[in-house]
Amino acid sequence: MNLTLKVWRQKNKNDQGRFETLQAKNISSEMSFLEMFDVVNEGLINEGKEPIAFDHDCREGICGMCSMHINGRAHGPWDGTTTCQLHMRAFKDGDTITVEPWRAGAFPVIKDLTVDRSAFDRIIEAGGYISVNTGNAQDANCIPVDKTKADLAFAAAACIGCGACVAACKNSSAMLFVSAKVSQLALLPQGHPEKQSRALNMVAQMDKEGFGSCTNTGACEAECPKEISLTNIARLNREFIGAGLSSEK
Amino acid sequence: MFDAKIPAGPLNSKWEDYKGHCKLVNPANKRNLEVIIIGTGLAGASAAASLGELGYKVKAFCFQDSPRRAHSIAAQGGINAAKNYQNDGDSVFRLFYDTVKGGDYRAREANVHRLAEVSGNIIDQCVAQGVPFAREYGGLLSNRSFGGTQVQRTFYAAGQTGQQLLLGAYSALERQVALGNVKMYNRHEMLDIVKIDGKARGIIARDLITGELERHFGHAVLICSGGYGNVFFLSTNAMGSNVTAAWKATKNGAYFANPCFTQIHPTCIPVSGDHQSKLTLMSESLRNDGRIWVPKKQNDTRKASDIPEEERDYYLERRYPAFGNLVPRDVASRAAKERCDAGYGVGTSKQAVYLDFAAAIERYGNIEVGKRQMTNVSKEDIIKLGKEVVAEKYGNLFDMYAKITGENPYELPMRIYPAVHYTMGGLWVDYELGTTVPGLYSLGEANFSDHGANRLGASALMQGLADGYFVIPYTVGNYLADEIRTKAIPTDHPAFVEAENKVKETINKFMTIKGSKSVDFFHKKLGKIMWDKCGMARNEKGLKEAIEEIKALRAEFWKEVRVPGSADEFNPELEKAGRVADFLELGELMCIDALNRRESCGGHFREESQTDEGEAQRDDVNFSYVAAWEYKGDGQYELHKEPLEFVECKPTQRSYK
Amino acid sequence: MKWSQFFNTSIGKKLLVGATGLFLCSFVIVHLAGNFQLLYNDEGKAFNVYAAFMGHNSLIQFIAWGLKIVIVLHAFIALQLTFRNRAARPVKYAVNPGNQTSSWFSRQMAIMGSILLIFIIIHLTNFWAKFHYGEMPLHTYPGQEEPLKDLYLVSQETFKQGWLVVLYVIGMIGLSFHLIHGFKSACQTFGLNHKKYNGLLSFIGVWLFGIAIPVGFAIIPVVIYFK
Repeated sequence: MNLTLKVWRQKNKNDQGRFETLQAKNISSEMSFLEMFDVVNEGLINEGKEPIAFDHDCREGICGMCSMHINGRAHGPWDGTTTCQLHMRAFKDGDTITVEPWRAGAFPVIKDLTVDRSAFDRIIEAGGYISVNTGNAQDANCIPVDKTKADLAFAAAACIGCGACVAACKNSSAMLFVSAKVSQLALLPQGHPEKQSRALNMVAQMDKEGFGSCTNTGACEAECPKEISLTNIARLNREFIGAGLSSEK
Repeated sequence: MFDAKIPAGPLNSKWEDYKGHCKLVNPANKRNLEVIIIGTGLAGASAAASLGELGYKVKAFCFQDSPRRAHSIAAQGGINAAKNYQNDGDSVFRLFYDTVKGGDYRAREANVHRLAEVSGNIIDQCVAQGVPFAREYGGLLSNRSFGGTQVQRTFYAAGQTGQQLLLGAYSALERQVALGNVKMYNRHEMLDIVKIDGKARGIIARDLITGELERHFGHAVLICSGGYGNVFFLSTNAMGSNVTAAWKATKNGAYFANPCFTQIHPTCIPVSGDHQSKLTLMSESLRNDGRIWVPKKQNDTRKASDIPEEERDYYLERRYPAFGNLVPRDVASRAAKERCDAGYGVGTSKQAVYLDFAAAIERYGNIEVGKRQMTNVSKEDIIKLGKEVVAEKYGNLFDMYAKITGENPYELPMRIYPAVHYTMGGLWVDYELGTTVPGLYSLGEANFSDHGANRLGASALMQGLADGYFVIPYTVGNYLADEIRTKAIPTDHPAFVEAENKVKETINKFMTIKGSKSVDFFHKKLGKIMWDKCGMARNEKGLKEAIEEIKALRAEFWKEVRVPGSADEFNPELEKAGRVADFLELGELMCIDALNRRESCGGHFREESQTDEGEAQRDDVNFSYVAAWEYKGDGQYELHKEPLEFVECKPTQRSYK
Repeated sequence: MKWSQFFNTSIGKKLLVGATGLFLCSFVIVHLAGNFQLLYNDEGKAFNVYAAFMGHNSLIQFIAWGLKIVIVLHAFIALQLTFRNRAARPVKYAVNPGNQTSSWFSRQMAIMGSILLIFIIIHLTNFWAKFHYGEMPLHTYPGQEEPLKDLYLVSQETFKQGWLVVLYVIGMIGLSFHLIHGFKSACQTFGLNHKKYNGLLSFIGVWLFGIAIPVGFAIIPVVIYFK
């Protein structure tokens, strides 16, 4: 099939940026979306032009590096899918596809479709861990965990940190990302000692990074490639309220 | 120089003994000792976190936008540990033995035994960090079985074990970043090692966003940059996985060991066309329940569902009744290739076999019927119940398969084919994980040490974390204890200037060639040579041809490659060019090594050396050694042999029949 | 975390919006119950007695002033958050997902809230300001000694003006759309999201606050207009 691409081109973070219209010819429906980009880039290189810069790595939907806003949808039209897993079966011959980078003040564009998501690392630094040094652990089976809670913790921990929640939210809110980590650790007994400071500090860092606040539209859940649930945001709210009302500090 | 430094004494007390006698560094001195870590996968992140906790000044580098993206994250199936929670006869010795045997007796006993010893601690550590492993209803940890073993010792978190373990290590790392013990350099790529007086003393790194070259000093440098499977272009590795850090170490005097030992994973989604950029693995855990088969008739074009049971060849169950579908990866891969080469392959390309869950779905359905005490259940309902069980166990893998192929694996059997997955070879290291360059260490997949000629499933995660959490904190201390008098060397030292100039020169060369072909063009060509001639089956003629072809391709690369853009900006093509340039050298060494090893062992199958039944034939008399290659200039390598001694595991012909 | 810090975080502010919102939800129920007395066929006696009671009871007056503060607080913090949220995306998307990923109601809270705020101001000038500070007709019902301010009559006259009826109906559409998302959203902000209760909360949010109450309010001017 042949497609028309409208792709965001931006030389660097200080550049204004603009859309460029490109043709993608002879695209097979078996290709992944990124393989289609490979073909387009190969063409650009052969024409002596600069290829489109985009983030990608594992190409199997788990590293969280790929990040394209495709026809208005974070990671494109399929639910529960990363850009790298999106296949060209999703499009028809003659389609025009608009591809934009994640848009958020907290995710500045580095080049073209590549953005800087280091804000997420800093949020984790603020408390997304359990403070246990190597070598201090007791036997793993000394901590039995209710299977239901363990499963919920796992479902939250499935977050790949891609930032689609921020990209999809009309407020650029990072609540789903933060809540996934807070939930995972709040559900497990190992995470209890630090749960108050974790909720308070991670939310404070999230605000500091300039993400918006949550208005419970649910767009994050709809676009999350790992289908992280909004119940995690409710849990974060509970954890935050509990911590705010009762923390000693 | 070339001493494996294996502690004396009986195998099971070597590590205890080492820990009891290695040198220590006092906390005040640790603050002044700087350690550079390249790569933030399981090995790198766990090492960075652990060394940060100890109080060393750590600088960690990764080329991705965050340490959480390292490709360890893609490991699906699980992590082994000799916990014996299932009471099925597991022990440290048995894990050790299985690993040495699974590696076809080409691993170093002492290292593997240490790995088995610390395996239990890894699980403890990860659980304490909040890694959400799968659990039973009683709240205790669940296990499953994996290829090459007869006990259930694999801990898992659905099909995302690597992700959960890496995020655990990542969070420990970020905690140290927050505490100021680790400085993290995201989107930075190491482009050379700096050696001063024969010791590794730092690196040159490129800031991938600005293109600036940076000099970083360290009392020790740890290479934790993963494997080099991407030399084949198509592999299950991430697009960015590369050998550059390890290769620069090699060019600075570190020996590269057993480069030809490549693991071809039997269950991957087959190639669908020339556009393919990478291959996707379907976890080995699927072989717990899936049955592998091909039609008994050659070139059978019927749909899978139209082929009756008696016309199906469950060739693994037929050839290996004792292990059946759970034979080790190398055996399963070769068996698939044998069937496809003989004309029994399925799908449009004929380069695939079926992995069928119909029997498992029915079996689980019946178990559910029994559990729920249902009566008068129709066949459809049994299948429906069975599908639910299978979905709970493997749902994410089935979804992934459906997304990629557009087929529903609950209805049709999956089509699978082997693909490059892991590289057992890597930088040669001694017992302390030190390379032949003092102060330069290598951890995880980047080193060669634990898996011999074939890695068992669920052992890579174990090794990465063992090296990072439990080995390097002791062994690097043993080295750094003698470095407490070395003040941080200023980075205007001539060695830094020289190294940086060398890197600059290479980059300039890339930018000025302005040839006519893209980097990917060369990478794909190299991959094809490697897959055809240094892939699942190798022979002398093919390897010799491959060496010549790679030399020619390398020459062409340096004349014809086109790198667009400039060097002082974010330029992914330039990054790729550097990596492919290194692959073009490594690929040749892999062929040289494969040519030298005129035996078949593990993942290395030399067609000249096989049994009458077509199984791999080892030659312990002539090849029971680690082949460590020293770089001697362009295309020149000198072979050093580290003999392997087996005290506890006497090498036998590996049999899974 | 100090209170000042707590209520300055994004979640803290949302809690204030949610709490004030839920308080206003409870208010609309009471307000509607009182207003239904406008439809009694008793020449407005019940309504005027009720209005007089509400207008003079000091506890009610205290709550009434509190109510106005709550409305201002709710609107102020919500708008503050809205502006912050808009600033969090300095460059907008060229293509937006529309209703594919979120409901239309959930995205229009600020618009609907603003319509409501304007409506409330008009509404207060029409009735509350007149009742307390303006010229009011008086009415003495049989058996009563004191004359009552005839708010009933004022409402009858007000809603004879077609354009005001239309305005009130639009205001109530705004209320409906605001509460369809607002009630459930406030519950979520307070962490109330549990599969055993979500059905009930959705039902209350949509049918009670989203439909029954706004329709109830809207019926009154319409009925009066056509009477």
